[in-house]
Amino acid sequence: MDRQKFEVLKDILFEDVKKRNEELTDKVNAIDEIISDREKLEPKIAPILEDQVGYLEKNFPTLFGTAITASIRKQIRESQDEVVDALYPIIGKMIKKYISQELALLSERVDRQLEKAFSWQGWVARIKAWFGGVSQKEMIMKQLGGPQLEEVLIIQQHSGVLIGSYSKNNTLDQDMIAGMLTAIKTFVKDAFQHGNQELETIEYENYKVIINNLKSYYVVLVITGFMNTDFRSKLDDILIDFQKDVLQKHLHGTATISKDQLTQFIKAHFDKLNNGEK
Amino acid sequence: MGKSKKVILLGNFGVGKTSLVRQYVFHKFSDEYMTTIGVRIDKKVVTVEKGEVPLIIWDIAGESTHQKIPDSYKLGAHGIIYVIDVLRPSTYRAIEDEILSLQNLLPNAPIIKVANKIDLLTEKERLEIFKSLPLNDYVLCSAKNGENVETAFHKLADKLI
Repeated sequence: MDRQKFEVLKDILFEDVKKRNEELTDKVNAIDEIISDREKLEPKIAPILEDQVGYLEKNFPTLFGTAITASIRKQIRESQDEVVDALYPIIGKMIKKYISQELALLSERVDRQLEKAFSWQGWVARIKAWFGGVSQKEMIMKQLGGPQLEEVLIIQQHSGVLIGSYSKNNTLDQDMIAGMLTAIKTFVKDAFQHGNQELETIEYENYKVIINNLKSYYVVLVITGFMNTDFRSKLDDILIDFQKDVLQKHLHGTATISKDQLTQFIKAHFDKLNNGEK
Repeated sequence: MGKSKKVILLGNFGVGKTSLVRQYVFHKFSDEYMTTIGVRIDKKVVTVEKGEVPLIIWDIAGESTHQKIPDSYKLGAHGIIYVIDVLRPSTYRAIEDEILSLQNLLPNAPIIKVANKIDLLTEKERLEIFKSLPLNDYVLCSAKNGENVETAFHKLADKLI
């Protein structure tokens, strides 16, 4: 009897505690359910994770910059040979190309100066120019028939598919030329398997075909006439601008571009060469 | 007009790859056999139901197996025509392996199998060869009289659009 009374008393005294206990159990179960069910958990933690990712993105250089720089420094210090091996072909090729270009430019300037100063033709030209009222420079340029850009082709590597083109005369079937040039490039690469090298020029009497290789595409320039180093230097500058302004933006980026649009871009960039603009 | 597509012709030497292209592009045939050196490129714009496709056809020099041809010639191909000579079993004996290795190299390029020189078979021989060879998925062609040559290229062009 006392026991029963005690139980009743306990129920009365601990009713609140029991209720609270039940509520807590329900809450724990609910939380447990959310944690173990990915679909329910995701909406809860996604905003937090997003905030964290945003924070990390924003503060990455501050948080990890020092550690990463230190790690790269250490890696370079400890594996100098590997780093040199990896960079040598790229930097070496670049320096070699630059030096040979500059030497050719210098040699041409020296030749030109010597010819100008001592040649008999130089004196004759000077006298003719003096009597004719035409500058000597103009006369020489006329005799030389300066270099002219005839064709520009943008071709996809491997497939040889023509992506865009510009032609001064429209005399060639550019699709066929694109395919054949790709086949020649493939043949040369296959025949002379010396590392990662590419065909860069083809000369055919008065025609010079310059091939500028990029990762997915290559640019072909067909030039007639005597191509001096000034022209070549200007051409290289235009090519760099064209790669930066057109190819990287429109062919490597997400934006798509039609063949006609690309032709307009090519014309706008490379016409400068024939017009003598800088 | 759609974007140009690179199509490569493969198969053993002498199966008639160059003759097929000549018949298809120029409607010409010559009995004289000339080995293709390296690669020959031709172009033809094909009109199929879905539109026009310019095909840039790479006729690659024949080898006893396509695996002897450098991969660099095949890379970037949008479609393949694999040619066999119905009269020479050596040209199709290992075809399954050849096709498999091509599919590994160019997983997205459709392959059309072409059995050439059917003009050289009598009706009786044709029936016999059909019995001995699983030719159901082949386009039976004759580069000499032009039979089914267009069909083979059109079938491929259809898959390229």
